[in-house]
Amino acid sequence: MSDSSANDSRVLRKFLRHKPAVVASVVIAVYGVVAFVLLVVGVITLPDTLKRVGAELQPGLSSERLPEKRLLDCEWLIDRIASLSERRNPEKALAAFSDMGVRRIADVELDELLNRIDLAWESYDELADIEDVTAAAAGTLDDPDVPPPAEVRSMLTELEKRTDALLEPMTKAEKSTRWFELLLGTDRQGRSIFYRAVYSVRVAILIGLVTALLSVTIGTLAGLAAGYFGGWVDNVVTWFYSTFASIPNIVLLILLAFMFDGGHIDGPINKVTGGLLDRLIGGRLDETLIPVYIAFTATFWIGPCRVVRGETMKIKELEYIQAATVMGFGRARILLRHVLPNVTYLMLINFSLLFIGAIKSEVILSFLGLGVKKGPSWGIMISQSKSEVINSFFWQIGTATTFMFFLVLAFNVLSDALQDVLDPKHV
Amino acid sequence: MSTSPATSTAAEVALSVRNLTTSFRTDRGIVTAVEKASFDLHRGEALGLVGESGCGKSVTSKSIMRLLPEHITRYGKDSEVMLGPDNLMGYSGRQMRDIRGNRIAMIFQEPMTALNPVFTVGWQLDEALKYHTKLGRSERKRRVIELLDMVEIPSPEKRYSEFPHQLSGGMRQRVVIAMALACEPEILIADEPTTALDVTIQAQILKLMNDLRERTGTAILLITHDLGVVAQTCDRVVVMYAGQVVEQAPVRELFHNPSHPYTRALLRSIPRSGKKERGKRLATIDGIVPSLTNMPPACRFADRCDCREDRCTAEPPHLVQLNEDRSVRCHFPVHSD
Repeated sequence: MSDSSANDSRVLRKFLRHKPAVVASVVIAVYGVVAFVLLVVGVITLPDTLKRVGAELQPGLSSERLPEKRLLDCEWLIDRIASLSERRNPEKALAAFSDMGVRRIADVELDELLNRIDLAWESYDELADIEDVTAAAAGTLDDPDVPPPAEVRSMLTELEKRTDALLEPMTKAEKSTRWFELLLGTDRQGRSIFYRAVYSVRVAILIGLVTALLSVTIGTLAGLAAGYFGGWVDNVVTWFYSTFASIPNIVLLILLAFMFDGGHIDGPINKVTGGLLDRLIGGRLDETLIPVYIAFTATFWIGPCRVVRGETMKIKELEYIQAATVMGFGRARILLRHVLPNVTYLMLINFSLLFIGAIKSEVILSFLGLGVKKGPSWGIMISQSKSEVINSFFWQIGTATTFMFFLVLAFNVLSDALQDVLDPKHV
Repeated sequence: MSTSPATSTAAEVALSVRNLTTSFRTDRGIVTAVEKASFDLHRGEALGLVGESGCGKSVTSKSIMRLLPEHITRYGKDSEVMLGPDNLMGYSGRQMRDIRGNRIAMIFQEPMTALNPVFTVGWQLDEALKYHTKLGRSERKRRVIELLDMVEIPSPEKRYSEFPHQLSGGMRQRVVIAMALACEPEILIADEPTTALDVTIQAQILKLMNDLRERTGTAILLITHDLGVVAQTCDRVVVMYAGQVVEQAPVRELFHNPSHPYTRALLRSIPRSGKKERGKRLATIDGIVPSLTNMPPACRFADRCDCREDRCTAEPPHLVQLNEDRSVRCHFPVHSD
């Protein structure tokens, strides 16, 4: 229709003038694309986030590790390869080995490899004699036998070079993959923090989207019906939402999460409906998250329901609704075509609020060990970084919260802008 | 200005209200807001329904449209609202929906909220046509612009895609009228259509309604408390007081020669200008309208009446036909020369 398209372009123009909103939607789009790519294309897969990619607790953004740590890492690798070469069938044992699943043993004769191992050990022994390598490299160790700090540092570099020579040189692709994997450091199990944080976008967007969609739909329909029809419909809806609202949110979430026993509710649903769930979503929505969706929706629908009910009660007394009645329109038509468009702004605002709410609640539930069961999520990452923070390792918690922060902020800005843009009286 | 209703016959009656009694179930028991109201609306005429606040004007109009909340509203057993040969009181909700907007339309007092703020003017008019007619999309658009043109809205093509907040109050009321007239109803009920508008716009709207009535032959039931509006617009007047019809008369006769003491008092309380009036206090009616829960058993106006006699508080008066088109509910109707 010509008038509605004129209306749409007006809203779009207003939206594009709102700079923060445009930035926010770009941010959300980036997150959305990441989630889509992970969900459908599968660039970073679940095994990628569980794989060990480097030494544990490696800091990100190529910041310097402690010399002590570098020494230990080298020792671990040399020791590993040395013990393999002492097996009864060293070629076979060495062929089966790969560092972090990528780098294989250098393709040289066994003698040459043993030679390189000796060289590495030699370099290692010199450094191992020093009591505190970290202090020595910094020059704070007060011991006349210890070489000057510059020399210690060059010795370390030499050791790393010799250790590296035990492995096959990396190709360009491998190098860039490794760069991404180590971009934001590694956690206590040596897993890539960057990969885990990015993969968590998928979980966050999934939970946010599904929960917000379900809650807003259910809440709006219930609120519209309660507000418009009144009487027993209103009584029933009010009873439900005041009952649900009287139970502390997090307690209900925990209860429901326990009830559904770690996400094995897809089985029963499929059994009852004849595999309907599998055919509908085919595992793409992650069945282990279904209890989370249910638990969140059960508490989140109250918000939109309450505001929509109030607004509907107000609107139905306004003269344009009475005018619609005297035009002879039926009740369903009035409700859906005349009242509903007047509450869409509430739906949109509630959608973005609940989207954020669901993401934050997921973090809390996962922190308590009740949320996401399969793979990483920002909540799980934050929960795991408890002990790391004590050791002043902030890469994991920093990454998880930063990823969350930008998504939440973007949604807040967007919902604010939507309010302005969708209001026809706001020029 | 007024066409003589003396020539009207029963065949020309568009809407006939007989013994309309509307009561509400409240916490304090049954409250009767309108009691045995009867009047006829003739084809093409403008009938004024006047009275002060709370006298049952709006309840009467909403009863005709059956707009009152059904679970608390009771209509009298012998109440009839005859639209042609059909009694609307016996209609189901679905049957009523076919009547509303199509054969009886209604406009409201407040033009500010009478249009849906989230849709364009064109959309809202289009919706009415879409629901009640079988016109195609382009035909509907042509008809909408025609309607906007009919209610004298300048550049209707431009207004078509504008939102209600972009229009002034008077302009909005014109759109509301256009919407009411979209399906060419036989009857238009206008519930205080000009109260919220300033006086110059009020005059324009009333003139427009009169012009449209002459052009389309739609009968208008004009509900107002403003006797000036009645004098300007209506052919006949029904005066209501405390839920009852107290007087019915052609407009000219009512103004020159009121029969009921209440009507007379009402007319006296209209502010006048002129040398003779300077320095005089405006006449008012003493006392207040009796509460619906505590009605005087006899004449409801007796307490405030300046020509009350013993019979007025003892025996309820009945509506007495004075001549063919005048009736009054009073034991002692006023006869002035």
